[in-house]
Amino acid sequence: MNTVTNQFRAMGCPCELRLFIPDKLNQEKVVSCCVAEALRFEEKYSRYRPSSLVSRINAAAGVKAIDIDPETSAILDYTRVCFEQSDGLFDITAGSLRSVWHQNMKTLPSQEVIERGLTKIGFDKLIFSTDSIFLPFTGMELDFGGVVKEYAADAIATLAKSMGIQHGLVNLGGDVCVIGAQQDGTAWPIGVIDPFGHGEAIARIELSEGALTTSGSYERFFQVEGKTYSHLINPLTGWPVEGLVSASVIAEQTIVAGSISSIALLADTAGGLAWLQSCQAPYLAIDQNKVCHGTLK
Amino acid sequence: MKIEFVVGLAILLLTSCESVQPWERGTLARPEMQLSRDQLGDALYDQVYYSKEASSGGAGAAGAGCGCN
Amino acid sequence: MKTSQTSPLVALCGAALSLPAISATQPVQTEMSIKTSSYEERDLSERDVVVGATERYDIDINQFRLLAPVSRAWSLGVDISREIMSGASPWGTVAGVDGEASLIMSGATIREKRTEVSLSATYYGQDASYSVGLIRSEENDYDATAIRLGGEWDKNNGLSTLSLGFSYSSDDIKPTDAETYGRVAKEDKDAVSASVSWTQVLNKASTLQVGAGVTKHSGFLNDPYKLRDVRPDEKLAWNVNLRYRRFFDNQNAALHLDYRYYSDDFGIDSHTFYAAWYKNLGARFQVAPNVRFYSQGASDFYVAVDDYSLPAIENQSTDYRLSSYGAYTFGLKVIFNEINWSVSAGIDHYISSGKYGLSSGKDHPALLSFNMASIGFDLRF
Repeated sequence: MNTVTNQFRAMGCPCELRLFIPDKLNQEKVVSCCVAEALRFEEKYSRYRPSSLVSRINAAAGVKAIDIDPETSAILDYTRVCFEQSDGLFDITAGSLRSVWHQNMKTLPSQEVIERGLTKIGFDKLIFSTDSIFLPFTGMELDFGGVVKEYAADAIATLAKSMGIQHGLVNLGGDVCVIGAQQDGTAWPIGVIDPFGHGEAIARIELSEGALTTSGSYERFFQVEGKTYSHLINPLTGWPVEGLVSASVIAEQTIVAGSISSIALLADTAGGLAWLQSCQAPYLAIDQNKVCHGTLK
Repeated sequence: MKIEFVVGLAILLLTSCESVQPWERGTLARPEMQLSRDQLGDALYDQVYYSKEASSGGAGAAGAGCGCN
Repeated sequence: MKTSQTSPLVALCGAALSLPAISATQPVQTEMSIKTSSYEERDLSERDVVVGATERYDIDINQFRLLAPVSRAWSLGVDISREIMSGASPWGTVAGVDGEASLIMSGATIREKRTEVSLSATYYGQDASYSVGLIRSEENDYDATAIRLGGEWDKNNGLSTLSLGFSYSSDDIKPTDAETYGRVAKEDKDAVSASVSWTQVLNKASTLQVGAGVTKHSGFLNDPYKLRDVRPDEKLAWNVNLRYRRFFDNQNAALHLDYRYYSDDFGIDSHTFYAAWYKNLGARFQVAPNVRFYSQGASDFYVAVDDYSLPAIENQSTDYRLSSYGAYTFGLKVIFNEINWSVSAGIDHYISSGKYGLSSGKDHPALLSFNMASIGFDLRF
């Protein structure tokens, strides 16, 4: 058996595969299939590629419906459940608020500007079925950033398992999906970055199955009029979120862990902690006062 | 009667279930924790006892044939 | 925030299941197993036999199984089993000099072979699997064909499983030397059965399965080799069973506890208790001592001594398998595990007596004891 570590970039973040590949399998083929699967998601769902499905959907906003495939339809159904479970905080249409809140702003936006921005968002305004989707207003856009990277990790893990890989992990920008424990049976040690540090880990989690995702608001933020604002905008109020700085969650699927950790950061501190408690998944959350909460050590 | 005690015990155990998360299922996945650790062995014993005793059935039992002697 | 009713985790996991990359489990490896076993029933003592041989049966059994996934959703299985039996069997009983029952045994040993082949196919869907199986068994005096259908449904995120099974079997009996001994030449019988079970994960280290089944037999249910054996032409039987598995971390061992209660309208009631302790020794070895206790009550029409004065339409049998008795089996298994293969060996010692049962009865002289040994090999690829 060969242990293979392959690093690449996809979906705007550093990615890593660690696989124990049995001798009888073609190592290059396994790795290239996994990387290709990650790139497939980038091709399809990246906002930054004008040819992607998402860009075509966004370009047709207010104009016409676009055909979608079963995978996209299933992802949309999943994000609907996230929208409902989070009482509207997790909203894939909230991306258009970037026009209201962005880097290099000199002054805070007026309430009027915010209100106008809010008219262009709202998951419940989307019109979609199993084979097409229509964004009814010009300026509306979909942003799968909170869900596709995590789903891609699950998809790559499933692909690797179907090729015969039983030990390994997939790490897409800090969202880790375990294919199976290490070859000798020991769990994978995964570090959670200290949001207030300089890249060191604040916790080490041992995982032999399932997924661990970390959502954080510490890497990107705005400075406006002397105050720091999170890049995460609350889609109900239109204002940046003031809440937890980082949340790490363990669940069986990466997409589920990712949704839970994302939603935790979209609420205020108390709401985020209450959400994590109600999900009953192991979590580690750090608030603005550098206090750690949660069931993970 | 014995059977009522056994059924009562089963109900008591079933209602005391805890929620087990998927990443906690390592122990349950062990081979010695399966309902059947050795399927050929279980099939063998089922056939042996079926031909020597009056009872049949039970979890996973049933097959054709007699082999009775 | 939704913090009540269904946990959001459950809602999200449920929603995730409809995503193409996340689906129900199916075996990913092909598994092949073989096992060879041999058991010898202890000879009878001279004073229990009035006429005929004192030896009982010697049986060798060879089993083969292959289970392979054939596509994302299907797997196929083949089972082949061959038994070679030789020995003498009881034909009936008479009152001996002391008034106790004594046996009339068949003569010199006969060598018989039984072959059983079974084919099965299983389909794996979302949280459910469905299977169908065909079984055929043949020996020189007995043929059986059966079909089995089953379904399993995972609930509560895999913590619970509901399982339903149905089977139908049709058997043909052609006793050997029918004309010589005045036996029936050809008879048949069939059986229909249904079963249900619920398996529940209780906590991180234990599971419990509760099940029940019912079977209706009809046709020729007598033992054709007995001198006098008359049974009803219908039998309704049912059973309930429990299986408990619990892992003890500090012992690195798993406890298996099984119980079955059986009852039929021939009047038989039985209890079966089984316990095994699977102890891990290091990373590769597993040792499992086990014990089984069986107790049955006699059938309504069981008699200790054949009574030819009774009319031939009245139910009666001196078959020891319908008498009241208890039995113990003491066994030991050793398993050596590697990642892709394992070897196992086991021995068992079985003893039975009228005194061991919960409702004690007179010892039927044909109650037996036997010793069994088996070796098996398992390959996963």
